Amino acid sequence: MPVRRALLFLAGVLMSVQDFTMMIVRSFRYLIFHFRMRESLFEMDRLGVGSIPIVFLANLFAGLDMALQFSVVMAPYGASNLLGRVVATSIIRDMGPVLASLVMSARVTAGITSELGMMATTQQIEALLVMGVDPVDRLIAPKILAGMVMLPALSVVGDLLGVLAGLMVAQLGAHVPAPLYWSGVRSALTLPNLVNGMLKPFVFGFILVAVGCFYGLRTTGGAQGVGRATTKAVVSAAIWILIANFMISKFLIDVWGWKL
Amino acid sequence: MIRLEKVTVAYGEQVVLDGIDLEVPTGKTMVILGESGSGKTTILKCVLGTLHPVSGRVLANDLEVGKLTDEELLRFRRRMGMVFQEGALFDSMTVGENVAFWLWEHTTLSDDKVEERVRMLLQFVGLESSIDQMPSDLSGGMRRRVAIARAMAAEDPAFMLYDEPTTGLDPFTSKSICDLMRRVQREFKSTNIVVTHDLTDAYRVGDLFTFIKDAKVIATGTRQEIEHSSDPFIRTFISLDS
Repeated sequence: MPVRRALLFLAGVLMSVQDFTMMIVRSFRYLIFHFRMRESLFEMDRLGVGSIPIVFLANLFAGLDMALQFSVVMAPYGASNLLGRVVATSIIRDMGPVLASLVMSARVTAGITSELGMMATTQQIEALLVMGVDPVDRLIAPKILAGMVMLPALSVVGDLLGVLAGLMVAQLGAHVPAPLYWSGVRSALTLPNLVNGMLKPFVFGFILVAVGCFYGLRTTGGAQGVGRATTKAVVSAAIWILIANFMISKFLIDVWGWKL
Repeated sequence: MIRLEKVTVAYGEQVVLDGIDLEVPTGKTMVILGESGSGKTTILKCVLGTLHPVSGRVLANDLEVGKLTDEELLRFRRRMGMVFQEGALFDSMTVGENVAFWLWEHTTLSDDKVEERVRMLLQFVGLESSIDQMPSDLSGGMRRRVAIARAMAAEDPAFMLYDEPTTGLDPFTSKSICDLMRRVQREFKSTNIVVTHDLTDAYRVGDLFTFIKDAKVIATGTRQEIEHSSDPFIRTFISLDS
């Protein structure tokens, strides 16, 4: 009996992996061969523009806090002149994209899952199919594109805001002159850092939307089912973002070595 | 014509349809009757190709639904209208947009032409004045009417499928929905399947009737044949309804 249960569990996992892969492959096929400009722009506005306030707030306070913590650690070693470089590097390479994605997963992944979940439980997804429209084409592909375009864009502006917040702490708290801080920031704008800072939000944007869509489309069981699917989706997206963050960091360090 | 040949459907170990045969002649309305959970809606899903039988085959105008690829299925469904139990209207769109959806997706009609057709369809179901309303603002009966208008948007729908179209409606609204279904059938000469457990409504819209019990078809025929059936389940069903 336990063996049978384990096999059924394994089969379920494999089926889910297959369904997820099929959904992604079909999404990209539609994005290439049946691109929907209107829906894509609509989703970019909804997912991206609508998330500006929370992403900015998160990056603002991350920048403030990081500058504060680093200034406390670095001051005893007389390394405050490196504050700009350290803050910018941490924000561009890691904190900016990860924080923006995690904050957005609470908003975007939850929103997508509950929206698609409600559509699934009220037969609206089935209605699309019956009308000869593939839900992946109409609903999923534009969202995935929006995630991959808007998260890098938001990350760039969020990073800038974090660095500016760091400057405030550097000047007022650690008494680092602004030109010194900015020269540190400039020295952090290296190719490895910039690639890191753009690749991560691109991948995270894909993850948080794809996971939301996947759980949303599979929702069953009315309002309770929608709640369950939404919780699962947000948790999964957050975990996958953290896993992907480590893997991308490791990959890029392997490519470029220990350069900053 | 829609034909099901020895169709068996199972969810895991639970058999929902057990080798059923069914034939709906072109231009006729077949009403499928039975208890809740007896597999009535499953038949519609098989015809739509959203559910694949374990064995047997489903033919729609000699096209075997189970053998169609995903793209072919999407094309096949464009000539099909389906009215869901609760309407399944897109709740983020207005009534007009719901009806226009098929036209936007599958035609290159100008906005003016689309609006003209949407108004005509809404007029047909008596809801032209609700064109800008959201589905959440409509009553149950109005939602079913919009769903019927949306299903009719496909020009010349060859098949119309109705899943419990009058469930939860008051007798007056139920009758008006049934009258509307009859008008749709006359207008398009479509082949229809109606799933219901309400015998009164079934008699209003049906040409042929099929009873399902324990995943099997127990009787098929005209109203007279059904009413003279000696099957105890059918006799009980008829007597309870009257």
